[in-house]
Amino acid sequence: MNEHELQDAVNRLPKSIEPPRDLWPEIEARIGTRAGSGSWQRRWYWVPLAAAAVLVFLLIARAERSAWDVTALAGRPLIGTKRLAASGRLRVGDWLQTDDSSRALIAVGRIGQVEVRPDSRVQLVVARTTEHRLALARGTIDAKVDAVPRLFFVETPAGTAIDLGCAYTLETDSLGKGLLHVTGGEVEFQTGSRASRVPLGALMQIRPTGPGTPYVDDAPAPFVRAIIAFDFEQRGTRARATRNVLALARAQDAISLWHLLQRVDVPLRGMVYDRLAALVPPPPGVTRRATVALESRALEGYWTKIQRIHFRIMVLRGVREIDPRTGLARE
Amino acid sequence: MSDDLVARAQAGDQTAFRDLYRQHAGRVYALCLRLTGDGRDAEERTQDVFVRLWDKLSSFRGESAFSSWLHRLAVNVVLNERRTTGRRERRVTPVEDPAALERHQGNPREGLSIDLERAIADLPDGAREVFVLYDIEGYGHGEIAQLVGIAEGTSKAQLFRARRLLREKLER
Repeated sequence: MNEHELQDAVNRLPKSIEPPRDLWPEIEARIGTRAGSGSWQRRWYWVPLAAAAVLVFLLIARAERSAWDVTALAGRPLIGTKRLAASGRLRVGDWLQTDDSSRALIAVGRIGQVEVRPDSRVQLVVARTTEHRLALARGTIDAKVDAVPRLFFVETPAGTAIDLGCAYTLETDSLGKGLLHVTGGEVEFQTGSRASRVPLGALMQIRPTGPGTPYVDDAPAPFVRAIIAFDFEQRGTRARATRNVLALARAQDAISLWHLLQRVDVPLRGMVYDRLAALVPPPPGVTRRATVALESRALEGYWTKIQRIHFRIMVLRGVREIDPRTGLARE
Repeated sequence: MSDDLVARAQAGDQTAFRDLYRQHAGRVYALCLRLTGDGRDAEERTQDVFVRLWDKLSSFRGESAFSSWLHRLAVNVVLNERRTTGRRERRVTPVEDPAALERHQGNPREGLSIDLERAIADLPDGAREVFVLYDIEGYGHGEIAQLVGIAEGTSKAQLFRARRLLREKLER
């Protein structure tokens, strides 16, 4: 390609590219908090008018936002005791229930949607712009949310799924046994002080006692069995299970080992670190001592690197081969 | 139409401001995307630009076209951000993501354009900024030197380097 051809190609580039998502709601929220600094605000006569407008807006918003739209996708789901025809509203406190042949789509305020699969039971718990919260008592949902992190929560009998900007499928039985599969962004699942971070392309088993260790969706079956054994089998067998996990781990499984590091008994942490570091070297500044001591700065630094590599592998899957140790494209 | 919107937004009308956003978001986002080489950074910078615009709108006197004034503001926001925070590590949603690039609509020679966009995103920061400002946005070396905080000669050298790297990349 010569200079002229390059210039031609440059001239054909579009001058305008639409953002992949609507950025206005966040801009609106930010300028809303700064409205006091604008010159127009200094004009005193705006104050009573603005106050009245805000009051009306809040009243309308309150009425609007205490309920979400629901559409029947198949069959006739129940809202409370009423059969949903084509569409309806789910109010705070209402239960939505599907039978074995019905499905429904819930609009999560203005930030996303949740498909409720058959044999599921979901309650709307909080419907505010700052917090969107459902409870999944049993069944399966597919959630897609396009918002800043920690605006959308789903409570299950075993803990809470916290949206970090993502798409995922969450299933649970009424006791809390279930599975989380993340297909976009990242989800945190929390039970008390125990939390797991599940990035796109990863799965995690859930039990009534809390979240398991996440693993990539193409992890070999023996590795998955070893992870499940570590998470949920008798405590006395954990040292052996840990060794199994480490022996079977590949660089692609670094997200699992990062979680394992914080869950193994103290004497085994060094061994987990060494395996993790051999598969994905730590970033500069992250030391063995600090990581084994579970210092948050070291853990976060390591996670950032592991997560970045993992996302590159997932996003570029089928397009480029990414070295799972470094995150760089292989030639 | 745009003048009316600007005037209403200057008077504090958020609806008019939202319409201004709708009119100009694509142009601003394209600039941010190319200057940062990163989809998520571009979204954040686009938001920063419009928040800054809201603050600065009262200082717009109509001495130039609004779109040119906004464009200049956007360049300043992106370059200031980079100056104050330094080059941060690339985010995990790179423009290498083909889906992000293929969102460019209405491009009749999409193959070459997507390759070119990808190659621009892969340029070293300094070379990319100068290339985007000079070859795509039409700034002169003197202006770029001022905006980026480099010597004019450096701007020319970076442009030469950027073009060479792009040609090499596109020939592969």
